[in-house]
Amino acid sequence: MNPLAYLKREYGMAAGDIPVWIVGLAIAALWIMPFVWMVSTSLKYPGDVMTVDIEWLPSRVTFQNYVDIFTKYPVWRWTLNSIIVSVSATFLCVMSGALAGYALARMNFPGRHLLFFLYVASLMVPIEVYAVPMLLGIIKVGWANTYQALILPSVGNVFSVLIFRQFFLTFPRDLEDAARIDGAGHGLIFWKIALPLARAPLIAATIIIFVLNWNNFLWPLLAVFKEEMKTLPVGIAAFTPISGTATQLEGFALSMAGVTVLCVPSVLVFLILQRYFIQGISSGALRG
Amino acid sequence: MLNYRSEKPPVDWAAYAFVAVFTAPFLIFNIAPILFAAYLSFMKWGIFGPPKYVGFDNYRKALENDQILISFQNILLYGLTIVPGVLVLGLMAALYVNNRWPLSSVARVCFFSPYVVSATVIGLVWVWILDTQFGIANHYLGYLGIDNIPWLTSTSWSLYGVGITSIWWDMGLAFVLILAGLQDIPGDMYDAAEIDGATRWQRFRYVTLPMLRPVLSMVITLQLIATLRIFSQVYVMTSGGPASSSTSVLYEIYTVAIRNQKFGLGAAVSMMLFVVILLVTFLSRRLIREQSP
Repeated sequence: MNPLAYLKREYGMAAGDIPVWIVGLAIAALWIMPFVWMVSTSLKYPGDVMTVDIEWLPSRVTFQNYVDIFTKYPVWRWTLNSIIVSVSATFLCVMSGALAGYALARMNFPGRHLLFFLYVASLMVPIEVYAVPMLLGIIKVGWANTYQALILPSVGNVFSVLIFRQFFLTFPRDLEDAARIDGAGHGLIFWKIALPLARAPLIAATIIIFVLNWNNFLWPLLAVFKEEMKTLPVGIAAFTPISGTATQLEGFALSMAGVTVLCVPSVLVFLILQRYFIQGISSGALRG
Repeated sequence: MLNYRSEKPPVDWAAYAFVAVFTAPFLIFNIAPILFAAYLSFMKWGIFGPPKYVGFDNYRKALENDQILISFQNILLYGLTIVPGVLVLGLMAALYVNNRWPLSSVARVCFFSPYVVSATVIGLVWVWILDTQFGIANHYLGYLGIDNIPWLTSTSWSLYGVGITSIWWDMGLAFVLILAGLQDIPGDMYDAAEIDGATRWQRFRYVTLPMLRPVLSMVITLQLIATLRIFSQVYVMTSGGPASSSTSVLYEIYTVAIRNQKFGLGAAVSMMLFVVILLVTFLSRRLIREQSP
């Protein structure tokens, strides 16, 4: 069969579209080349990094850089810290956000509009504006270098409330009324009916907030100064080779191994659940 | 059954318990520090001794500090570089993927993927790519007859080196938001335009662009705010250098407050940044609204 006829029938493409289609795909491939280059460099011997010819596929492959970052630096500990912090902050944020989003959408109470306004207005003030004062408070109560200092400030992420509120606003009232007639209170309705049906926003909020927490940089950089309490992004950031020194280029093999490890969780979560991820990001919650 | 729906619904007292779980950390860790920052900006406070009220002294000092003034100038330059780059590339990528040609879902993943990795990854990878002597950027530009560009090591280029990196990082968000906006445009509008004999460009100019206006204005505002608070890339890639040429306001706040432990001055610069963000957001929304027909 004629491929041109096939493209026209299945995709409505004209002959003139073909070059545009191919160029577009080439640009998309080019767009992720930095990742390919990152992995490629991480598999090279430090001495092979500084070659005049560009080797996209390493002529000699080694995993020594990966062994080195895990044995010479506390990368295990940083990974563990990152997991503890991101998982607990995400869990707390999503659960409390689901409760608050449900209440804002389905329950009637004085102060409801004021609270919603406060949430939305707070989006105008980025965390960077108050990070240093918050740090002073955290130090004052003796929480420097602790998990709670890393976790608790990330719980109040308004995005979680907005995404659930948006969902519960469109939630069919009949289900709730039926349960109410059977004598169920809001607590029971939330746990038994609303939350199980909120699968899509639950997944979307969880993965988006997890990735945000995993990648969080400024706050963990400030809140922790002990090497063993650092999170992975802050720890790995120190692998920036100092420019102008002899270790600069050898350092790139090591630092690319570090950032490859750092990428893995967020890229995996994104690739596996990308439908929820993109829907969640582009949902009404952010557009409001 | 009474028609209870028409009456004022009863107050759900349980709602306060529902919102409390979120609102408690929100008030303690998001709202209280903002108020504390405002208070601190009028105080002189170092590492020793109690804070002392100094009125607008911190603000005056900030305005007399060249470093800080340069950093405000830089974030505006960053805005002028990154926002148009993200907007144009994001729009083009979204228009392309929206054709739903073969493999467009793969292209979608490619265009969005940089957005999901951390500043550390972005920063280190691009420090390597933009390396003056051995980076692949200069290697391939060499084929075009362009001499090695000192992307991150010269005062005239460093801001653009960080800017290009930020465009690559941030474009994914603009892309998916615009794509969602394109998918919301009813197909019959295009059908009608086609029947009227509109060319592809005319359909874009008179159907797509006006329909996308709200999304584009949101993208511009979001990206503008994100750019004014640029920090992590600067921290990882250049430490604001060389000679403050790529520094940002947040990087200066970090230097003043954390390195030099002038907390009052840092808080004052934070409040100034906040005002700039509010102003720029307000102006950009205003400008976009006025231009709409």
